[in-house]
Amino acid sequence: MASAASGKGALAGGRAIYIAMLAPALCLLFLTIVPFLDGVYTSLTNEKLYAGVTRFVGFANYLKLAQNPTFWIALGNTLLYAGLATLIQIPLGLAVALLLDVPSKVQWFFRSTIALPLLIPPVVAGLMWKTMMQPQSGVLNWLLAQVGLPPFAWLSDPSTALVSIVLIDTWLFMPLAAIILLAGLQSISGEVLEAARIDGANAWQTIRHIKLQALKPYIVLVAMFRIPDALKSLEIIYATTRGGPLNATRTLHVMAYEEAYRWSSLGRAMAIVFILWVLSYIFSTILLSLWRKEEMRFHGR
Amino acid sequence: MFELKRGALIKGSVRGMAFALMCSLAAVAMAPASARAEVNWKQAEGATLNLLLISHPFVDALKPMLAEFTAKTGIKVTFEELAEQPGFEKLLADLSSKTGAYDVFMTSPLNNWQYASAGWLEPLDDYIANDKLTDAAEYDVKDFIPGILASGRWTLEPMKGLGEGKLWALPINAESYQIAYRPSLMKKLGLEVPKTYADLLALAPKLKTEGPDGPIHGLITRFDKYWDLPYLTFGTMLQSYGVEMVDASGKLQICSDASVKATEDFVKLIRTASPEGAGAFTWDQAMQGFASGQYVMSLNEANLFASVYEDPKQSKIADDVGYALTPLGPNGKRAAAAWVWSMSLNSASKQKDAAWLFLEWVTSKDVMVKMHLAGNMNPVRHSAWANQELAAKVETWGEVPGQYRKVTEEESEVAAVRFPPHPELTRMLDRWAEAVQQSYFDNGNVKENLCAAQEAVQQMLDE
Repeated sequence: MASAASGKGALAGGRAIYIAMLAPALCLLFLTIVPFLDGVYTSLTNEKLYAGVTRFVGFANYLKLAQNPTFWIALGNTLLYAGLATLIQIPLGLAVALLLDVPSKVQWFFRSTIALPLLIPPVVAGLMWKTMMQPQSGVLNWLLAQVGLPPFAWLSDPSTALVSIVLIDTWLFMPLAAIILLAGLQSISGEVLEAARIDGANAWQTIRHIKLQALKPYIVLVAMFRIPDALKSLEIIYATTRGGPLNATRTLHVMAYEEAYRWSSLGRAMAIVFILWVLSYIFSTILLSLWRKEEMRFHGR
Repeated sequence: MFELKRGALIKGSVRGMAFALMCSLAAVAMAPASARAEVNWKQAEGATLNLLLISHPFVDALKPMLAEFTAKTGIKVTFEELAEQPGFEKLLADLSSKTGAYDVFMTSPLNNWQYASAGWLEPLDDYIANDKLTDAAEYDVKDFIPGILASGRWTLEPMKGLGEGKLWALPINAESYQIAYRPSLMKKLGLEVPKTYADLLALAPKLKTEGPDGPIHGLITRFDKYWDLPYLTFGTMLQSYGVEMVDASGKLQICSDASVKATEDFVKLIRTASPEGAGAFTWDQAMQGFASGQYVMSLNEANLFASVYEDPKQSKIADDVGYALTPLGPNGKRAAAAWVWSMSLNSASKQKDAAWLFLEWVTSKDVMVKMHLAGNMNPVRHSAWANQELAAKVETWGEVPGQYRKVTEEESEVAAVRFPPHPELTRMLDRWAEAVQQSYFDNGNVKENLCAAQEAVQQMLDE
């Protein structure tokens, strides 16, 4: 406010702030926007690392993708994967969070072990589960046999492979959902819960009318983390099926990865990556506005 | 296209050796002994080389020997060892940025068709010919099995010129394919090891039994949607049916009648004798599956898996495994695929002479034999196969003494890279593998699937 009193000082201060802001803005520009635009430009070329000449080809890479049936399969798989992962992980994470929220003497143990899968690199988890899901020698089918169930094909059949990978994804990332939702549960003030109890609300009513309402922004937050992440999932898939059998687990990211690293075709890879970016951007934007709305509603801001 | 007919080439090289011997005798007679150039192994003393190595028994054999190289040359060696997928990612990043971070690296013909096209590889012919760097008599380049060495040569022309042109890589080991079987189970079932694919198809329904830990399935082989299916294992079957990717005139043969027949037979074999899940086995699962004792037979898998099967620490069948040649095709033909691991020199390396000295040392006769003894199979030099210690090491492998060696040597007579070189060959082979998988999973029309794949591959070639 002091600078507002003297016009000259305010101007100098204002300029200094703009100049001070320029440096981070330039950093942002060069570290984020330039590479991004470069990537978009690459998607409009026929760049191949091993070929000498790179030509501008307009939208040829995109057109070729649209004509490629595998692209549409991969797009479907990508959306299905992200959808299934989120739809399984949020309710499951919620259930786990509600359990972890129950006061108990052994709670510390469960709260610390639940996060363990998050510490395992996805590639390692993929290889681990690939062994466990092996139809003949894997431990999962052995367990099924112990309870009298027939063997399951897991990763080895086109009809079950994607779901199996979503299960691995769930094992890895459900704890993330649980931890975020647990934080949400713990932010509910004890007074509200106490009041509900005095009013005679049972456990289910408390969960439904108080806890779930308060958790809405947190649920959207989990979706905000998980959906773009699941759209871009690569490591688990590459460690288990490399996109097979047939094209059952081929996602856009697997396609882009193979274009770039197996066939050095940066132009085509970037076109797929850009489409993936658009998908992530759409979902993120929708979820972000939803999150703002929930936050505003709940906190009354 | 080139075809490695090892028998013929061996004869050729024996004649070549006799000629070389005469020449060197003549040279000794005509020139004073001092005229022979001595390679100064210390000429690059003080240099430090960086290698990129892909996890493989070769690397385990190499690591303890690096000190020997440093003592001989004064060149220090550092290396990065990575699994195949991250390894080739890093290599691509380094080669394409031309920083020369890796002076020497492990690679294969399939990879080199990309790297050589891009100019990332240093041609090796001049280094071999340079008598300041290479003692021709001691290095003896003719000692390499000719077809294996030739897989590193290419004229850089897409779809042709393999085995000609410049030398881009030196081989460090090679694998071909064979049948592995459980003698005790075959005896119990009263079955003979099949000699032809027709025999195999006939006995396929009988290939199953009960073991102490549950059912034992008929046969296992890799079957993923990946280039290695038509290139290596099923590729061996295809080639015995007379199918190559392109014929002599360069026309694609993916949906030829012979290819359709081979694919139908393969799918039938897997359906009859393999368990559920057979449509997704990768090579490591095929290897571990057979080593775990759950199968009577392993069809056309890598012969060097034998080192795992024979090791009681990694295998439940170490005392009950036999080896046989891959079956004969409908016209009595046997042809097998070949996989060659090799090493190349980075054209962006800043110390190429030192890098060459390493490459020369690591592929020299003595070092090769030592590494084969330490588990790097199979040999790529005649002299290694002739080594008695090495012969003794594999003598016990198989149902009867010497079986592994006999089968491996005989199979290598018909082993070859029968594919046209192309930087993106694996893209085409992946598509071919997809058609084979479709025929298995969708019960679809084999011919339609293969012809659709052929059309897609033709489009890739036309681009």
